[in-house]
Amino acid sequence: MDGAPPPSKPTARLLRATGVLLSCFTALLGLLYFILAGALLGAFLLWPRTRGRAHALLASGARRLTAIERARRSVFFRDRFPEHHASDQRVLRYLAARTYAGLLCGVVVGLLVFGVVLAGLLAAGVARSTLTWQELLTQVVLGGVLLFLDVQGLNSLAALDARLARECFGPSERELLERRIQELAASRAAVVRAVDAERRRVERDLHDGVQQRLVALAMLLGRARRGKTPEQSDALLEQAHRESREVLTELREVAWRVYPSALDNLGLQEALGGVRERCGIPMRIEYDVPEPLPAAIETAAYFVVSEAVTNAAKHASAADIFVSVKGHGTYLAVLVRDSGVGGADPAGSGLTGLHSRVAALDGRLDVHSPSGGPTTITAELPCA
Amino acid sequence: MLAEDSTLLREGLIRLLAEEGHEVLAGVGDAVSLLREVEARTPDVVVTDIRMPPTHTDEGLRAAVEIRERWPGVGVLVLSQHVERNYAAQLLTPNAERVGYLLKDRVAQVDEFLDSLERIHAGGAAIDPEIVRQLVIRTTHTDPLSRLTPRERTVIEALAQGHTNAAIAQKLHISLSAVEKNLNTIFDKLDLSRTTGYSRRVLAVLRYLES
Repeated sequence: MDGAPPPSKPTARLLRATGVLLSCFTALLGLLYFILAGALLGAFLLWPRTRGRAHALLASGARRLTAIERARRSVFFRDRFPEHHASDQRVLRYLAARTYAGLLCGVVVGLLVFGVVLAGLLAAGVARSTLTWQELLTQVVLGGVLLFLDVQGLNSLAALDARLARECFGPSERELLERRIQELAASRAAVVRAVDAERRRVERDLHDGVQQRLVALAMLLGRARRGKTPEQSDALLEQAHRESREVLTELREVAWRVYPSALDNLGLQEALGGVRERCGIPMRIEYDVPEPLPAAIETAAYFVVSEAVTNAAKHASAADIFVSVKGHGTYLAVLVRDSGVGGADPAGSGLTGLHSRVAALDGRLDVHSPSGGPTTITAELPCA
Repeated sequence: MLAEDSTLLREGLIRLLAEEGHEVLAGVGDAVSLLREVEARTPDVVVTDIRMPPTHTDEGLRAAVEIRERWPGVGVLVLSQHVERNYAAQLLTPNAERVGYLLKDRVAQVDEFLDSLERIHAGGAAIDPEIVRQLVIRTTHTDPLSRLTPRERTVIEALAQGHTNAAIAQKLHISLSAVEKNLNTIFDKLDLSRTTGYSRRVLAVLRYLES
């Protein structure tokens, strides 16, 4: 992750322009290097016995120049390249292509300057009224077309510069694939872990909640049957009846925690309403999703909200919670903010499970919970 | 003395035992306090759940094993969530006196639960019929138990649950002498030495649990 904040738009543009201008000068360096190295090493490069050494020398010099280019791309264009070493062949090829593109860029910039000077002369001519309006029109049309071509050339060369840098410094196709495979393997393992954690929680819910209550209920009934007096038996039956209602409530709660059936029947918005009813803290929901969502995305969004809300109610002692679910076409943004004490642990089992769930859909989950609050959990889930 | 982490169930059990005229010395919610209380008051019988805080795995069982080692005179009744043969074996191996292993749901059958408590208090054993049944189902044909007739099986099941001969006779509606005859055949078939009294019965039960 890059620690520095991204610069504002105008600053970034200025940086990029400086980078482009610099690229013209570094291209001159490259040209000089090739001429000098060619003059000094040319003969050795042709002679088979010394070719290897000469080639290595040539490449090591090229590597230094390439490092300058790399720094230029990082500073002015905010490119981020992984640490990896390109082959000698690749470095030389890059430097050659880049030098050529840079020189061409210099020419195009020169033409631009030349055009500006001409435009200045034209303006002076208009001011001194030595021009007929036909001449003026011809010059303006011609100048406009040339300016357009020039700017196009600059744009293309800037793009070429970026592409060359990416090809040399950036990860290769194979590395990208390997990285993706690693990501997938990690997220797959995490999903399995998350599923197991869920199951453990369900088992715990059933065992520590529902089953204990049922045993207690059966015990009450047993005691009622053994009651010494009718009054005592009646009182115990009454208690058992109350207990049976509580068992049912508990069972409903557990079933809902396992999977909210409202999600399938009524959709995400209704299910979130269910979360609000259950959470016991004032909760405001902003829901703005124009298109119907894929089921997997709905489920993930639901669990992000319900887990975050549960945490806020349980650990953060929050006074109120704000939930926003917004569709942005290609992705769904989910945000949960509570006014609690903060200090949520992203490595806790609940949040880790959420991470896995979101990562499995190629989404992102961020937890921002400074000590003292507020806690903000944001998730972006791709819908495409 | 009771150890059970669910408050609801603990209170219910305390009431039930009090109604039946037992005195509950203490009700605790975890294994550490259980051991502390046992040390302080030495109860007649301890009833403990297996799964208790902090890890909710087998704290209660480990406490029970420890109690049996340190205070052999204290009866121990363990309540288990599922049939865990390994747990039962751990609990019953040194000897099967003053010890019980019941499925937790069994406390709902109040009569059976109280009966088990009484048996343990009297120096006997109480093993859940369900556990015994599963063990019988699991026995393979290489096992001496497989040589038992169905009638002998029901007798040893009852025996394993900790019943006396008289109680077995009553339970299976056969005469006392028939029970004794059955038992002798069983002891022969299981190659149990002609030791007398309780230990032989216990050995038969252990054959079960180890088979």
